[in-house]
Amino acid sequence: MNLATLAIKNIRRNRLRTVLTVLGVAVAILSFVLLRTVLDAWNTGAEHAAQDRLATWHKVTFVMPLPKRYFEDVRQVPGVKKATYINWFGAKHPTRDREFFANMAVDHETFFDVYDDMVVPPAELAAWKQDRQGAIIGASLAKQFGWKVGDEVTLNGTIYAGEWKFRISGIYTAARRSVDQAQFVFHWDYMNESLPQGRKDQIGWITTSIDDAAKGGSIGTAIDKAFDEREIQTQTMSERALNSQFIGAASAILTALDIVSVVILVIMMLILGNTIAMGVRERTREYGVLLALGFRPGHIVSFVIGESLTVGFLGGLVGLGLSYPVVQQGMGRWLEENMGSWFPYFRIPALVSVGALVIAVMLGLVAALIPAWRASKLDAVEALRRLG
Amino acid sequence: MIPISYNVRNLAVRKATTVASASGIALVVFVLASSLMLSEGLRRTMATSGKADTAVVLRKGNNAELSSAIDDPTVGIVRSAPGVKAKSDGTPIAVAELMVVAFMETSDGKGRSNVQIRGVPSDVLDFRPEVRLVEGRPHKAGTDEVIVGKSISGRFKNLRLGDSFELRKNRPVKVVGVFEAAGTSFESEVWGDLDVLREAFGRRGVVSSVRVKLDSPSRFEGFETAIESDKRLGLDAIPEREFYEKQSEGTTLFITVMGVLIAVFFSVGAMIGATITMYAAVANRKREVGVLRALGFSRPMIVFSFLLESLLIALIGGGVGALCSLGMGFVSFSMMNFASWSEIVFRFTPTPEIIGKSLLFGGVMGVLGGFFPALRAAAVSPVEAMRE
Repeated sequence: MNLATLAIKNIRRNRLRTVLTVLGVAVAILSFVLLRTVLDAWNTGAEHAAQDRLATWHKVTFVMPLPKRYFEDVRQVPGVKKATYINWFGAKHPTRDREFFANMAVDHETFFDVYDDMVVPPAELAAWKQDRQGAIIGASLAKQFGWKVGDEVTLNGTIYAGEWKFRISGIYTAARRSVDQAQFVFHWDYMNESLPQGRKDQIGWITTSIDDAAKGGSIGTAIDKAFDEREIQTQTMSERALNSQFIGAASAILTALDIVSVVILVIMMLILGNTIAMGVRERTREYGVLLALGFRPGHIVSFVIGESLTVGFLGGLVGLGLSYPVVQQGMGRWLEENMGSWFPYFRIPALVSVGALVIAVMLGLVAALIPAWRASKLDAVEALRRLG
Repeated sequence: MIPISYNVRNLAVRKATTVASASGIALVVFVLASSLMLSEGLRRTMATSGKADTAVVLRKGNNAELSSAIDDPTVGIVRSAPGVKAKSDGTPIAVAELMVVAFMETSDGKGRSNVQIRGVPSDVLDFRPEVRLVEGRPHKAGTDEVIVGKSISGRFKNLRLGDSFELRKNRPVKVVGVFEAAGTSFESEVWGDLDVLREAFGRRGVVSSVRVKLDSPSRFEGFETAIESDKRLGLDAIPEREFYEKQSEGTTLFITVMGVLIAVFFSVGAMIGATITMYAAVANRKREVGVLRALGFSRPMIVFSFLLESLLIALIGGGVGALCSLGMGFVSFSMMNFASWSEIVFRFTPTPEIIGKSLLFGGVMGVLGGFFPALRAAAVSPVEAMRE
C-alpha cells in the first residue's frame, strides 16, 4: 500500500460526508457560475456593441426630438458612410402590456443598411419596403407573442396615442451577440403622416455607420460641431459608449452581484474546510501511528491537502456539470426567449467555466491550510494518547 | 427531557466546527435579509410618495409621467371635476406638472445617467407640504433657477448648491436650493419652473400629469368616472398610491427574485454544511447517545435534542447575519428604475418582519440540515454503542 492508495481510502472512508461535501461545493460553484453569467450577459451589450456606429441625439435629453432636416446635414459630414433615423415609439401589446419590447419608427430606405447586423431575408425586406404598414420583428419577439409573417397586429400607443395597425412583413435574426432580438421596427412615414402638424417631421435620433471605427471620436465631434450654432445642439457617441453608460446606470446592482458571487465562494470554503478539519480531528490517532512509523509531518500535510484538493476538484466538476443544463439550457433559454430585451445572449462564458474549476481547486487548497497546519504540529506520543 | 445545557456545551467543545457552520448560515441570512431590505426600501420610497387622498391623471394608456401629455384646456377640465377639494377661496387644490429627463454626468465621472426633471407651478409647496428646503432657498417663479432633491444632489456633477448646468445653449440653469421630501422619490428629482422648462423642452401648452387633492379618498370613484367617461379627453385617473406602486413594480420584483434565488442557492450550500457538522457530531458522540438511551431517554427525545442543537447553530448564525444586515440600513443605494429610465436613490430598510422572516428561514435551514443526522442518532442501539 502506497501513500496514494491510503489517501484514496481516506476519502472513501466516510462516503456520506464526502458526497455531501462534494454536493455543497457543487452548489456553490453552480451559483457562482450563475452569477458570473448574469454579469457577463449584462455586459455583453457593451462589449459586443458596434464601435463603428455612432448615435446622435438632442444634447440635453432623449425625450426631445431633432428636426428631420438634421439627417441630411449629418450625411454630409466627412467620414460618415451611411446614416438612418429612428423614433422611439414606446407602444405596448394591447393585452400583454407589461411585457416590454423596443418598438421604433425607422426610415425604411436606410435602416437595415446601417444596422447590417440585423439580418432580414431579402424577399421579406423587399416586401417590407413596399408595405407602408409593414413591420419587421426579431425572432425572439415573434416567439414571445406567437407572431408570424403576414399577421396583422395592433399596438397601443403611449407617446403617440391611439391604436396602430401593422402587418408583419419579415423576421430578422442577429449577426452579433449584442443585438436585441425582441425589437419591432416599422415605417417612419406611416407614423409621421398620422401626426398633427406640430409634431410632424421630427426624429428621435440619427444613427450613422462610419468608415473607420478608430475615427469615431473625431467624426462624432465633427457632427456635433455642425449643429453647434443651430437652434438645437447634439451629442454623438458610439453605440458601445452608449451601451456602457446604460449599464453604468445599473452598476449598483452589478456591484452587489459581484460581491455576492465572492461571498458564495467563502461559504464553499467554510463547508470544505469544516469537512477537512473534522477528518483531521478524527484521524489524529492514525496520524500518530504514521508518525511513529517514521512518516514525516510533511507526508501528513500532503495527505490533508491532497484530500481537500480532490474534493474541491470533484465538487467543481459536478457543479459545472450541473451548470450547463440548469443555467444554460434552462434559465438561459428562458431568459433569451422571454427577456430578450435585457439578456439577448445568456450563455456561460468559457472563461467562467474554466475559472470556476480553477477556483474550486484553489479554494480546496486554502480550506486545507489550517487543518494541515494543525496536523503538521502533531506530536506522535500526544496523538496516540488522544482519544478519538 | 435532555437539558439544553448539554447541547450548548457540545457546541462549545467543537468551537471551530460550530463557527464554520454558523458562519455559513449567517451569510445566507445576511444576503436574504439585505435583499428583502432593498426591495422594501424601494417599495417604501415609492409608496410613501403617494397619498391616499390624491389622484394622478395621465393620458390614456400611459402609466408613466414621462410619456404622457395633457394640453392646457384639458387641465382646466380636470381641475373642475367633481370630488376635487377646494381652497377656502374656492380654487381647486391641484398641480399640473411637466416630467422630463436630462442626461447628466455622474459625480464619480464614470458615466452618465438620466435625471428626472419636474416642471412645477409656483404653489407646489402648498400641494406637497412634506417638501422642505435643507439648503439654499426656493427657486423664483419664471426664472432659470431650480432646486434639487437631497438624494440626487451629490450623485451628479453640477447638481450641488450653487452649481449650474445648461438645458439650452448659453442659458445656464442655477441650483439655488436642496430639498428633502420625507424620503419619497421626489428626493431623486430636480424641480424647476413649469413654464421655463416647458419652453426649454419644447412642450409649450402641454403638461405630463395633473394631480388633484380629493375631498376624501372615497371620492376617487366619482372623480374617475367623471374623468374617464368623456372619451374625447382620453385620460386615465389612478390613486396616487397605486400609481407609485406600479412605478416600482418591475424593479422591486427584479430585486426580490434575484435576492430570493441567491438565498435559496446559498441555503442549499449552508444546509449541507450543517448536515455534515451534525453527522460528525452524531458519529463522535455515539457512546454518549448510547449512555443517554441506557439512562432511559427515548428515541424521540434524542431526535429532539439533536434537532435542537442544529437549531441552536442556525439561530446563532442567523442572529449574527441579521445583526450585520441591520448595519446595511446606513447604506443608500442608487439604481435605474426601469419604469422611468432614470436614477432613483433608496435605502436598505429593515423591518421587524424582514428580520423575523430571515431568522425563521435560517432556523428552518438548521432543522432541515439536522434532520437526517438526528434520525441516525436515534437509531443508535444502546448496547452496541457502549460496547465500542
